[in-house]
Amino acid sequence: MSATAQERAIVTPPHPQIGGFARWRFRHRQAIEGWLILTPILLYYSLFFLFPVLSNLYISFTRWNGIQGAPKWVGIANYRTYLTQSYPLIMFNTLMFALIILAVQTSLAFLIAVLLNQKVVGRGLYRALWYIPTLTSAAVTAQVAFAFISPFDGVLNGLLKALGQPIVIWTMSAFWMRIAVIIYSIWRGVGGPVVLFLAALQGIHREIYEAAMVDGARERDMLLYITIPLLRPMILFVLVTGMIGSFQIFEAVLLMTKGGPSNMTNVMLLQIYNDAFVNTNMGLAAAGAVIMAVLLLWFSTTNMRLMSRGQAEA
Amino acid sequence: MHTRLRFGRVLMYVLLIGGSIAMAIPMIYAALGSFCNFEDFYRAPWMPIPQRLYLENYRVLFTPKVELWRWTINTLIRIVWYITIPGVVAVLAGYVFARLRFRGRDGAFMFLLSSMMMPGIVFWIPTYIMLARWPGVGGNNWLGQGGHGFINEWPSLLIPGLVNVYYIFLLRQTYYSIPLDFEEAARVDGANTLRVLWDVYLPMLKPAITVMIIFQFVAIWNDYQWPLIVSASNTKIFTMALGVQRTLLLGASIKGLPQGTAIVDYPFAFALATLVSLPTILLFLRLQEYFVEGVQGFALKG
Repeated sequence: MSATAQERAIVTPPHPQIGGFARWRFRHRQAIEGWLILTPILLYYSLFFLFPVLSNLYISFTRWNGIQGAPKWVGIANYRTYLTQSYPLIMFNTLMFALIILAVQTSLAFLIAVLLNQKVVGRGLYRALWYIPTLTSAAVTAQVAFAFISPFDGVLNGLLKALGQPIVIWTMSAFWMRIAVIIYSIWRGVGGPVVLFLAALQGIHREIYEAAMVDGARERDMLLYITIPLLRPMILFVLVTGMIGSFQIFEAVLLMTKGGPSNMTNVMLLQIYNDAFVNTNMGLAAAGAVIMAVLLLWFSTTNMRLMSRGQAEA
Repeated sequence: MHTRLRFGRVLMYVLLIGGSIAMAIPMIYAALGSFCNFEDFYRAPWMPIPQRLYLENYRVLFTPKVELWRWTINTLIRIVWYITIPGVVAVLAGYVFARLRFRGRDGAFMFLLSSMMMPGIVFWIPTYIMLARWPGVGGNNWLGQGGHGFINEWPSLLIPGLVNVYYIFLLRQTYYSIPLDFEEAARVDGANTLRVLWDVYLPMLKPAITVMIIFQFVAIWNDYQWPLIVSASNTKIFTMALGVQRTLLLGASIKGLPQGTAIVDYPFAFALATLVSLPTILLFLRLQEYFVEGVQGFALKG
């Protein structure tokens, strides 16, 4: 837009003999209005975004409990701690969960969206069904899910008992706890991508498919060579946001497994929470936050570069 | 060839219906289970179909032991607050970034945008410390030492998050889609910016504002992590998600059941979970188009 509505609507510019200040005000009215509105916003933002981000970086180089005393500079000691004890395992878990959940969730959502895009009766109902879990509170559903897998009085074991099978102490098995977290996260998160893919699919003109069918394309070809390429931006968007989201699972782990048998399901966000608010080791927690932020930033920028390169090719 | 096609199609429908059932089962299970008493529930754990509608689980939710009313009021206060202020900010800032031109505008926008790249945890720890060490409140001396500051008090549930860059982005995009002529015509007639915003733009921003309202509603209704961090020790300011999570497994003691009846009262838990999830679900069912529009909007324009 080259001219704003304000600029276009100038009917009478002020007479050159109007006093200096009024003229300056008129000439700069857009800037005055703009800064009038922006200044409080930017001030608030600086206090609650810029300052925290910089503080977090600073705190990560200190040892502090946030309650009393001053932070004590310890250099990269906190980051070194992240290479010891169970932290590599925690980082591995975070990555593992994120990738598995992302892969399964995205493929499933894509498949379901493709299916729903056909002439299906009750599409709205299906879409609602898939999306509603996303609307629930993670804390509530995760807590209920925990009730399901609870060893001695849980529903799953009740089922096994009814079938005459011995109960399984799910919570002691790293494998089953991980499966539980993954299944829960997928159940909860698949709805968003379904809605997104469905919307993107509905934006593709029918004629393209019809033309392809005239040329003798089979359904599988149409999927591979028309649908997926056309949906590429949306797929990448879902992957990036999905990665950022599944990297930050929290309630599922906190309420279902509490980090799992010996940290086998512990993820970074939970550990950072524990470090900061249970063990009051703010420095360590801040370091964890910085590591997470760096990883996520790296992932987002790489993906965005992939996306723009893809567009350039296409 | 035809049979193979048909088989593939049947398989796809099986997948769709099967998947949809799998998604729905937890919710159906919870809904059914919430109307069961213990006998009905444990008789058929694979699907607790109540013999008779047992409303005790729901009745108990409205007794004083379950502070449902308190969580509701607290959460509603937060919702109204977090719709009004970020909403006004987004409408105003969106206008500034979309319709005004001045030096530094784009720089300011980039500045705001940079926060979308960071995971929330990076702000939370310092914000927590900032709130806890705020000089002069909650027993703090002027250096911020000694007390608990705003933690476990109302302000910490209301102060952060008043500037939501996603909504500023959304509104800015919405302004872009409105032709300049409307504002120009109003200005030619002598309207100042306030009137332009109120009389010209506001009606046209209704869809975007609706999207903002419902997303904020869901976000604040379900907000767990931040209340957990700043209000875990003060049950008076518990919000919905936190209060419910803390009470879900306490059904047995709330009902005053004798020891050993049940470790966890599942029908109670299901009733509470179902009741509390209803508002967002009903909101969605009524305003589906806005949800889809909103989810899309963040994707396509983001």
